[in-house]
Amino acid sequence: MEDFSRAKRKNLTRKTAITFVVLSVLIVVLFFLGLMVGSSNMAFSESFMALFGQGKASAVRIVQQIRLPRLLAALIAGAGLSVSGLIMQSTLKNPMASPSTLGVSNAAVFGANVAIIGFAGGFLSLGNNLSNYSVGANPFATSTIAFIFAMASTLIVLGLCKIRSFSSEIVVLAGIALGTVWTALTTLLQFFATDVGLSAAIIWTFGDLGRATYETDWIMLGVVAISCIVFIVLQWRYNALASGEDVAKSLGIRVGLLRFVSLLLSSLITAVVVSYLGIIGFVGIICPHAMKRIIGNNHKVLIPASIMAGSVLLLFSDLISRLIGNGTVLPIGAITSLLGGPFFLYLIFARKGDKQ
Amino acid sequence: MIKISSLSVRYEKKSNLVLKDIDFHLEEGKIGILIGPNGAGKSTLLKSICGLLPLKEGNIIIDKKPLNEFKPRERAKKIAYVPQILSFEPASVYDTVMLGRLPYFSFVPGQSDHEVVTKTLEELNLLHLKDRNVIQLSGGERQKIAIARALAQQSQIIVFDEPTSNLDIAGEELIASYVEILAKEYKKTVLLAVHDLNLAYRLGDTFLFLKEGKSLGVKDKEGFTPEIIEETFGVNASKIDTEDGSIFIIKGEKR
Repeated sequence: MEDFSRAKRKNLTRKTAITFVVLSVLIVVLFFLGLMVGSSNMAFSESFMALFGQGKASAVRIVQQIRLPRLLAALIAGAGLSVSGLIMQSTLKNPMASPSTLGVSNAAVFGANVAIIGFAGGFLSLGNNLSNYSVGANPFATSTIAFIFAMASTLIVLGLCKIRSFSSEIVVLAGIALGTVWTALTTLLQFFATDVGLSAAIIWTFGDLGRATYETDWIMLGVVAISCIVFIVLQWRYNALASGEDVAKSLGIRVGLLRFVSLLLSSLITAVVVSYLGIIGFVGIICPHAMKRIIGNNHKVLIPASIMAGSVLLLFSDLISRLIGNGTVLPIGAITSLLGGPFFLYLIFARKGDKQ
Repeated sequence: MIKISSLSVRYEKKSNLVLKDIDFHLEEGKIGILIGPNGAGKSTLLKSICGLLPLKEGNIIIDKKPLNEFKPRERAKKIAYVPQILSFEPASVYDTVMLGRLPYFSFVPGQSDHEVVTKTLEELNLLHLKDRNVIQLSGGERQKIAIARALAQQSQIIVFDEPTSNLDIAGEELIASYVEILAKEYKKTVLLAVHDLNLAYRLGDTFLFLKEGKSLGVKDKEGFTPEIIEETFGVNASKIDTEDGSIFIIKGEKR
């Protein structure tokens, strides 16, 4: 019996080490593959040289101005959405919690719809003419309004939940309720939209890494990096919370404050990512759960593993979305779910001896 | 030392009182036991003492200082809590016991925290389990880990909410021996809710009998009589003295 459990324990530690090695290798490989794959059919060596400013000007521009900001966005947004989902699940003790549990994505979508349909992104009334939209639409304004609504939604939910000391059920229910309000408002807005405005608004929600620029990458990196540092600092507190709210409180943890900080930062990550890139669903559910299944629930290893797994999934999805689109880039949000969903089902059902 | 005076608790504004006007006093190094039927308010009282519920009516004094004047971490250094239902996530025994050091470190456990955890595991004969995944352990072993976590907290007071309710007889005896060790060897003040009257009688120094949120009296061993049991539970009770101590026999509902 003792030998068996020792073997199991060794397996778990070895599994953790292997997981980190595999994730690191995948990130590097997928990142470089992503640099080299694209519709312009550049050779591997040409792309690699272009990364360092060598070679043809067009190749340098494609790699440095298009592919690199896009890959950095995949790396950062994937990490952010995944860790945001994990922290939502841990602080709310709800496995179905996701980065948008507080209604953040719904609010961002409404904000973007207001910008695109209401003001055509550039605060202009452009009617039913597509060319006007491409001239007048200001992506920066759309993202800013989306972000404002996403953060407003977060603050409303957190403000309301303060009355009930951030009880996890109340937070989840309040998030769902407010989320449906934003969705209803979006539907009403879309009902009155012109055909072109409606298409533009819907396309915005698809999720597109191509919208990323170095500027947006820096902003996302700042938010994700600071949040991750805070989450890592709080890792022991998340472990304590997993033992129950009463135990956590008896260990001197201010559970309400922990929930407030964690939910605020998780929602901030989601708000920034969704506002800049559109909706990229499921990363925040698949990646943390996959990592929990593989390496266990200790946040000491789970937080870094989820961060890395999110980057891997988004880099991989981006690669696939560019490869199978035959020149067209497919919506990244759909690809993450298409790739992640079956893998997740495999993890849930394929484990031997896990019948509970 | 725990001193409670005129404590009343309700969960929501305008809802019924769960505890009414409770007075209780437990000296340092003693074992105090709460006795009462389900719904009598035992868990509520234990949670109030641990600062897990807001204190609105009455006073709880811990070592001459009102409970609500303690900051959360300061309070955690005074009182440890072992809940009735133990919930563990997959993590090593060592890391689980390390949670008991949370009141002492901010971000990363220091050298002294590692020393305390190792010493606690050693003293409770659990060091061989330190790398084991806590969810793979038996019910009794998990109880030991919860006790080790509370002990690592290095608090003077340890509160147990029905620690034996999910255990078999061997597990119950194990917890009983641990509680005795905590009080006698570690000089801890231990407060617990227990359903088994014979176990309670054997372990306790001071007893608080509760019924429907009201105190039926604070008794010592002498005052632990069949009459107070009858009054508390509404059953017929008698006490038999044997060579190994006294036992209580319950004989049906009192008419």
